[in-house]
Amino acid sequence: MNLWEVLLARRPLVKFSWGFAVNLGKNASMPALERLPAVHEAVVSDRREPVADIVIIGIAAADLARNVRPGQFVMVVPPGGGTVSTALGVYEAEGDRLSLMLVVVGPRTRELAALEPGARVTLLGPLGNGFDLGTLGDDVALVAGGVGVAPMLLPARDLRARGARVKLYYGARTASALVDADLFTALGCDVAFSTDDGSRGYHGYVTDVLEREGASHSAIAACGPSPMLRSVGRVARSLDIRAQLSLEETFACGVGACWGCVVPLDRASAQAPHFPQPPPGERRDYVHARICKEGPVFWAHELRW
Amino acid sequence: MVETGPDISTALGALKLSAPTLMGSGCYGSGEEYAPFVDLSRIGGVVLKSVTKLPRLGNDTPRLVPVASGLLNAIGLQNPGIESYLAHDVAKFADRPCAVVGSVAGFSIEDFAFVTERLAARDEIDAIEINISCPNVAHEGETFACDPALAAGATRAARAVTKKPLIVKLSPNVTDIAEIARRVEAAGADALAVINTVRGMSIDVDRAAPKLGNVTGGLSGAAIRPIAVLAVWEVARAVRIPILGQGGIETARDALEFILAGASAVSIGTGNFTDPRAPIAVVDGIRAYLSSRKMATLREIVGAANPGFLGYKPHSA
Repeated sequence: MNLWEVLLARRPLVKFSWGFAVNLGKNASMPALERLPAVHEAVVSDRREPVADIVIIGIAAADLARNVRPGQFVMVVPPGGGTVSTALGVYEAEGDRLSLMLVVVGPRTRELAALEPGARVTLLGPLGNGFDLGTLGDDVALVAGGVGVAPMLLPARDLRARGARVKLYYGARTASALVDADLFTALGCDVAFSTDDGSRGYHGYVTDVLEREGASHSAIAACGPSPMLRSVGRVARSLDIRAQLSLEETFACGVGACWGCVVPLDRASAQAPHFPQPPPGERRDYVHARICKEGPVFWAHELRW
Repeated sequence: MVETGPDISTALGALKLSAPTLMGSGCYGSGEEYAPFVDLSRIGGVVLKSVTKLPRLGNDTPRLVPVASGLLNAIGLQNPGIESYLAHDVAKFADRPCAVVGSVAGFSIEDFAFVTERLAARDEIDAIEINISCPNVAHEGETFACDPALAAGATRAARAVTKKPLIVKLSPNVTDIAEIARRVEAAGADALAVINTVRGMSIDVDRAAPKLGNVTGGLSGAAIRPIAVLAVWEVARAVRIPILGQGGIETARDALEFILAGASAVSIGTGNFTDPRAPIAVVDGIRAYLSSRKMATLREIVGAANPGFLGYKPHSA
């Protein structure tokens, strides 16, 4: 089998984009091809630390920046070696630059947070399904907990670009951890803050604000710690609004190979992996879906967690 | 792709491999997941995720805990069961440009025979790995690997139903792995995979509770490499069938330790997670090692560091 036979036998390495075909005469610099995920050797272009231990790393990675969809993530290979890469939702993506927001919680994130401009970094991506923005309607609630705000910026940008109203419900432990809200207001989003300690905005959980003020939204998109996302799911149900949740988990592979990052998902979900029938003696109505592959974004009403 | 330099082809019984690297079961999906990142024709082959007679939802989460120099996992053999696997999945493996090794797990001798017979009958499958050593299922998963008679029984049952190469995966969680290896060899195995993960656990001090949903798990990664090298060393002095060495391999030099101890090929599992190009680097590094020593074939270094090596050398292609 020669190389071409190998390539043709597999699923196509590149997917033709009709969007580009339409644009062909208008903007020849548009990327012609939507690429499958790849390994990217990239260079850190800038670093910002708006508050201690929350760091935004800018990375020059043109292929990634141009092809990432809102809500997708990358795996960042530990620069000094190590067993597990770090999955981070893409924060900004414009031109040849994308950025990642991370909070220092342990040795792996501490190593990444110390990356300085010029440092080399290896990324796998773009990975995961991302948000399905087309189904969110024209008055969208974005709900973010802590650095869960990162994967909400690209959805805000695209939703605003198509004229949707967007309100960000942004919660954190304390006022200083509410970073970069101005990027959302600059896009024309309303922002409602909440903090656990009452140092800014509502004193309490972000989901309390959502429950009180969110009844008129067409849909919800959320990212944050699992307890917050469960709560968003409950609020969405009580308000009778559909919600897309971007889940957090430790990934080993990030590409769907190891089945280490699963979540119970309704067997009838379109995202449920093929699973023929419940195992004998099992009365459960769910299957385990991979957060990295079938997700990380799931419909709240389809999760069985 | 045309490769030049030393011949690094190898064999596990009748399973011919263009390179001495397989991707470990449960770590590489079916190969499709990594096809965007790596030219699969440059790695020796893929060992598929284990399949059982009946569907399994797998363990509750969390299933993964990163630990010092390694990874604890307790996936619990999540799989759709052999019937669905044959109907929906196996046909897709036909176009993999590398060897495809099916993996069979079970909870009784009859399970191993039933699943092996059905899976091995498919042309897409080049060989079968018998996983008698999964540490992460509630009962009887690892029992087979820890009891010489049961290990031999599972092997004999699988041997009776297929002529395809049969690789039996041994557990390190035993007192005398050499004795198990001898019994499995006598029962008809064509090769031995050495080793599966090492049992372990980790406790969340803040919650005062085990971190894994399954409580206990299997440890992989660099942390277990010396355990695995020793196991290969001991098994290579006990049997004449080829050994597939695995456990914490990340680089070519790691792989060479196993080969020098007596492995005819190696598997890469956890070591592939951070960088999918790792297996290519291992292949290239082994070739460079042979070149630098003016050696023409991998065969020359298999068991070269092990004075008690009983002498299986892979066929040179």
